Amino acid sequence: MTLDYSQQHLIKMANQIAGNMPSRENVPAQIVQHMAQFWTPPMRADLKQLAEQLPDSLNGEVLAALALEG
Amino acid sequence: MNKPIEIAIEDLDLGTPAALSESTVTVHIDGTAVEVPAGTSIMRAASLAGTQIPKLCATDSLDAHGSCRLCLVEVEGRKGTPASCTTPCQEGMSVKTQTPRLDKLRKGVMELYISDHPLDCLTCSANGDCELQDMAGVVGLRSVRYEEGSNHLAASKDESNPYFSFDASKCIVCSRCVRACSEVQGTFALTIAARGFESKVSPSEENAFLDSECVSCGACVQACPTATLQEKQVIDLGVPTRKVKTTCAYCGVGCSFVAELRGDELVRMVPDKQGGANEGHSCVKGRFAWGYATHSDRITRPMVRETTDSEWREVEWPEAIAFAADRFKAIQQQHGMDALGAITSSRCTNEEVYVVQKMVRASLQTNNVDTCARVCHSPTGYGLKQTFGTSAGTQDFASVQQADVIMVIGANPTDAHPVFGSRMKRRLRQGAKLIVIDPRSIDLVQSPHIRATEHLQLQPGTNVAVVNALAHVIATEGWIDEAFVQERCDVASFNAWRRFISLPENSPENLAEISGVAAETIRSAAAIYAKAGNGAIYYGLGVTEHSQGSTMVMAMANLAMATGNIGRDGVGINPLRGQNNVQGACDMGSFPHEFSGYRHVSDETAREQFTALWGVDLREEPGMRIPNMLDAAISGNFRGMYIQGEDIAQSDPNLQHVTAALSAMDCVVVQDLFLNETSKFAHVFLPGTSFLEKDGTFTNAERRINRVRPVVPPASGLAEWQVTCALSKAMGYAMDYANAAEIMDEIAAMTPTFAGVSFDLLDERGSIQWPCNEQAPEGTPIMHAERFVRGEGQFITTPYVPTDERSTRKFPLLLTTGRILSQYNVGAQTRRTDNTVWHAEDILEIHEADAELRGVADGDWIEVASRAGSTRMRAHISDDIPAGVVYTTFHHPVSGTNVITTDNSDWATNCPEYKVTAVEIRPSSAQAVGM
Repeated sequence: MTLDYSQQHLIKMANQIAGNMPSRENVPAQIVQHMAQFWTPPMRADLKQLAEQLPDSLNGEVLAALALEG
Repeated sequence: MNKPIEIAIEDLDLGTPAALSESTVTVHIDGTAVEVPAGTSIMRAASLAGTQIPKLCATDSLDAHGSCRLCLVEVEGRKGTPASCTTPCQEGMSVKTQTPRLDKLRKGVMELYISDHPLDCLTCSANGDCELQDMAGVVGLRSVRYEEGSNHLAASKDESNPYFSFDASKCIVCSRCVRACSEVQGTFALTIAARGFESKVSPSEENAFLDSECVSCGACVQACPTATLQEKQVIDLGVPTRKVKTTCAYCGVGCSFVAELRGDELVRMVPDKQGGANEGHSCVKGRFAWGYATHSDRITRPMVRETTDSEWREVEWPEAIAFAADRFKAIQQQHGMDALGAITSSRCTNEEVYVVQKMVRASLQTNNVDTCARVCHSPTGYGLKQTFGTSAGTQDFASVQQADVIMVIGANPTDAHPVFGSRMKRRLRQGAKLIVIDPRSIDLVQSPHIRATEHLQLQPGTNVAVVNALAHVIATEGWIDEAFVQERCDVASFNAWRRFISLPENSPENLAEISGVAAETIRSAAAIYAKAGNGAIYYGLGVTEHSQGSTMVMAMANLAMATGNIGRDGVGINPLRGQNNVQGACDMGSFPHEFSGYRHVSDETAREQFTALWGVDLREEPGMRIPNMLDAAISGNFRGMYIQGEDIAQSDPNLQHVTAALSAMDCVVVQDLFLNETSKFAHVFLPGTSFLEKDGTFTNAERRINRVRPVVPPASGLAEWQVTCALSKAMGYAMDYANAAEIMDEIAAMTPTFAGVSFDLLDERGSIQWPCNEQAPEGTPIMHAERFVRGEGQFITTPYVPTDERSTRKFPLLLTTGRILSQYNVGAQTRRTDNTVWHAEDILEIHEADAELRGVADGDWIEVASRAGSTRMRAHISDDIPAGVVYTTFHHPVSGTNVITTDNSDWATNCPEYKVTAVEIRPSSAQAVGM
């Protein structure tokens, strides 16, 4: 699967958020909260789709966060 | 155009500066009792009592000098005739300022001055604006008895500076210019060379002004009592006849100026002594570089074109508005509401910005609005809100006068915030210690009478490591201000932070290799800051424009809280904002997730307030940030953009991506003064207004709301907010305001921190610092004094995560970017002024070892390449930067520095990582534009 620039950027942003979240306690929940505050619904939906198609491209905590969202 | 605004401009010169003592003394001046602070000069006391003692070498912006001997007075019970400028008042003192003896002495002094001064008053450029002329009249000089002898009448003029002339034949050697350069500006470029009759003002070592260390701040011109140092504009045009008080539109210092005009022709900009931010000082940009406002490149008529490869067509306003609205409506119909968005400008007023974000949310029915703070201080907003509860610096500028230790991190105040830089230097000369954390050896590290106690010359990208190491030392050495933490902060978060920061991984020894800063240097700096008494942190884009920009802001906030350096004069966390209204643009709801006053769009209370006032339903989900909009444009989902006063095709990183996104849009509307790089991709050009044409407010880096008053009418015929309102109306949502004051009234009604603000209040008080509301009707110079805005200060752990951008075998050097004194951001304004004599092109600074390795000599053309792109510019070999690091500016589109910066950005805010780009350079034979 070839990713376009926007998809690559979304993956990079999500992984970066997971890697930099200051508190290491319950990172997935913090990611959910951060994305709810700053990401548009289409961006969150696109990331979820990418997680289904290319789970290896995403940090485990991002995947856990997306699982929390349901 | 509103009716002309008449604001009283107080320009009485009291002769000497105010004394700061809280005790007072009472003296009698010519029989009139006057009570003044102890230490006040007789001259100032007399002036306050309504008696102006003749003077030449004295002015109230400078310490008394006592050289001209014109201000002599008689003091009862004392012998002689002391100079009133250097003699302090004492309790019960009785002073006579006018006696036959004094008259004779003063007339004799003036006679000597005039015996060596050209008698060309009627044709002199300072005729009517000359203190020497005034004093000759005041003392009643009618003739000069001395025969012609040796004199300085044939002394040559120095016309080298583009903005002012130095005519030595008119100099009375009062030293006001020399003292202004030293005391006010702190550059020490001027001196009095030689002795006795040969004494003369000398820039550096008898250089021409342009070749000297002079930074053209204008303080010497301001201080000169004759026509010796004078603006060329005054020489060319004549003495101004009317004045309007307004605010500079360059950096975030937000200096107050008095615009002096003849009719509608601006003659000069004079810094306002009453200006809260600048107190009568200025820099070369605000003082002199305003000619762009009438530059022939200005576009003053709206233009449209069907496609970006067709010619622009000038049209009337209604056609331009209808053209843009039709295109935007078509996009909405075909692609939905979220296919449109806007960028607001930090160069525009609060009122102009507010109506743009209102148009986006209420009229375009999307939250896709962002602002240029995205690419500069968005991490400041995030980090300070998390820790302190609000997105703003904590102090007023005057606070630095109480600082015992000043820590400057990733900022270069003498270049980028020069008027505040001068204020800071004054405090440093008084003995405050200085710690600089910067990869570059900025001027403050070592300049006349200033030397940093410690310079932590870190590797680009390791800020968080260094500040964590500082905090580690403070925590493990027992230097925490436990009482402050217990009383003011969230203790659980503090305990978690203390455990984290005390870990060995955060020790200076562990981080020395990563950061490039020796452990002992960090330990020394930590001790200086922790034991400061008053420790103040000032920072700039060298903090925010990193992949860990937000983390770094929180790390600094932790440091300040842990040492109790918050909530009083002389301390704090102080972002030095890049543009004049970055603070204001953020305050006004320019971010896609926040309404004005930093309330999230999901906040039902806030949303209901706006819904009720605006009469439309508003979206509760955040909109897209600038990079998200650009990404979506390339994907085909984002099709139209309104860009207010920004040149993203020059200023934003990874320009290939920016231009590809702009090219993919169906309608780009640019509102600006000039056709710029972004307008190459635009379909509609809406002419904007320069700051001289605006009516509104700017909010500076210290949260000071200043009035911007229209000095001349808008060249395009409309205010920018009127244009935005017209577009909104054409899109189906009317925004009706009679004037800018009404917009501010709405801002005040909808923004808790602005609740008490109005144009009337600003006109009455000059300026005010938010929060200004029922709890703080006179504003808030120092924030978090009793409690943090969020209640308790929140400590946040700040693990150091290295940036992905690292030097490699292919790109072994790290490029960092910045700006210099004479140019401003993308240069749209300053490149259209004579400031180009100091900086005509971007130049890459490179360490001698790196240059030698690559066969590059000083002045050579080189190619700079990164993984994003390449460009060419000249090299300058410099020891201001360490080996392995190169530096350049981004002021010129020809070199297009942002062609090589990458898409890396701050993890929390997407602020671009301008400060770290891995590059390689190699000699290049020819000049070429960015590729």
